[in-house]
Amino acid sequence: MTAIHDFLTRAFYKCGSLVLFVLLWQLACSTGLAPETFVASPAVIVKTLWIYLWDGSLYKHSVISLSRAFTGFALATLVGVPLGFLLGGWFKSFERIIGPLLYFLAQFNPFALFSVFLLLFGIGEFSKVAMIFWVSIWPVLYNASLGIRSVDPAQVKVARSLGSSKFTLLWKIVIPSSAAYLFAGLRLSAGTAFFMLIPAEMMGASRGLGWLIINAQVNYLIPRLYAGTLVIVIFGFLIDYLFRFLEWRLVGWKRPEAALS
Amino acid sequence: MSGVSTRGPAFSTAGAGFSTVDRVQGVKGEDLSFNRRVMSWYGIIAFLLLWQLAPFVGLTDRRFLPPVSDIVLDALKLVLNGELFLHIASSCQRVLIGLFLALLVAVPLGVSLSGLLPRVTKFVKPLLVFLGNINPFALFPLFILLFGVGEVAKLAIIFWSSVFPILNFTIYGVSQVDPLLIKAARGMGAGEREIFWKVVIPGALPAVFTGFKLGATTAFLFLIAAEMLSANSGLGYLVHNASMNYYIPRIYVGVLGIAILGMGFTQLINKAEKIILGYREEVKV
Repeated sequence: MTAIHDFLTRAFYKCGSLVLFVLLWQLACSTGLAPETFVASPAVIVKTLWIYLWDGSLYKHSVISLSRAFTGFALATLVGVPLGFLLGGWFKSFERIIGPLLYFLAQFNPFALFSVFLLLFGIGEFSKVAMIFWVSIWPVLYNASLGIRSVDPAQVKVARSLGSSKFTLLWKIVIPSSAAYLFAGLRLSAGTAFFMLIPAEMMGASRGLGWLIINAQVNYLIPRLYAGTLVIVIFGFLIDYLFRFLEWRLVGWKRPEAALS
Repeated sequence: MSGVSTRGPAFSTAGAGFSTVDRVQGVKGEDLSFNRRVMSWYGIIAFLLLWQLAPFVGLTDRRFLPPVSDIVLDALKLVLNGELFLHIASSCQRVLIGLFLALLVAVPLGVSLSGLLPRVTKFVKPLLVFLGNINPFALFPLFILLFGVGEVAKLAIIFWSSVFPILNFTIYGVSQVDPLLIKAARGMGAGEREIFWKVVIPGALPAVFTGFKLGATTAFLFLIAAEMLSANSGLGYLVHNASMNYYIPRIYVGVLGIAILGMGFTQLINKAEKIILGYREEVKV
């Protein structure tokens, strides 16, 4: 009995407010309290989503958006992790020189930069990917450099005096000890990549979830506007959970003390 | 860490971590040689030099990536006719009003929720996290529908993007005030009001500041986006207008201006934090 009770209490606290929110929303729409021209009721949103799910358009736009976000994120990881390792581990004085520059570059507003990317790379896929790359490289880079600085020097010395090669040192000592930071950085970057994808698609694209929303606004398709927003939130949560799960599975044995969240 | 992870997948303050530059510049009071003090500028100077020289040696196309001198000249032009100041002022005004409104709503709400109604707080927390994770950009069309294209829509987007970090961190901050301190104060005969002002508020303030910093960064980010979509003043508008008119040096003026303004803003908040949270003991790691 207590198990059921515990489960119900937890469920109540976990999703009670969300359910209540949706119910109130529906009520406001059904009673006409919320104007139908601006606010779509949850029932209508679900119905819209259902239609999009079956005619394949939801799938199509999601795949395009996710692949864009993934490309930018993968490029950022490929550049950011080695660069962070190099800066934090091997060229410490170089990091002192280049750190402020990186800080300065990280301050560049991605939306404003989008105009520059459009100039440099045109309105094709590349400028969108460039923008995602730009925003998602900083967390990876920073956390990789933090991670490698958190490696215990005593461990490195021991491994070295036991005659381990550079590769073993990297693979067996450096990467496992900095893995927690690395994963925190990767999770942040993936979230950021998806987050920034939406404005990139809203500013210049003909497909994708961001386009779905901006198109809905232009054509005044209110249910679609809400449905698109909801899908984006859900994907954001899914990406976060995926990375939290990977983090827990792979580096759960080591919690970062101060990894930025 | 539960309070810190409230933002979930939402936007991270891109690169804010590199603000450790102050730490790199040396411990306070340490007598650094001139070379070490200016070291942190080498990178930026080299970058600007490279930027300046690249078009002349044919590395880049001058039309698309004008040298720094062209950009500075255009910036000077804008300064002299007062336009740049106008744009900066209207951007600042928007972000300050939006942030002020967010603080005005989030801090009292967070304190009273967490302090007086902990069970209600636990109940609404998932909803707050959900709402805070809605991409403000996705809401932008909605805000335009609801509030029109005027100032209100822009303020609403700044408000929305900054209110949830502040609220969530305030709730977290109040909930993690050391109960021992409260009991000790009560044991020494402090009244509820005194406990609130002398124990709870100072205990929660660092977390509130963390939330405020996050909120301010996000607010600044979305201010530019909002100004690019619909405005007739502000730095975001400057960039947008320049790019529509294909006036390339001005795009870079806007981009650099936004970066510098954002950095100044962050510095200001950090200074304020140091002054207001001066009572906290420094923890040396």
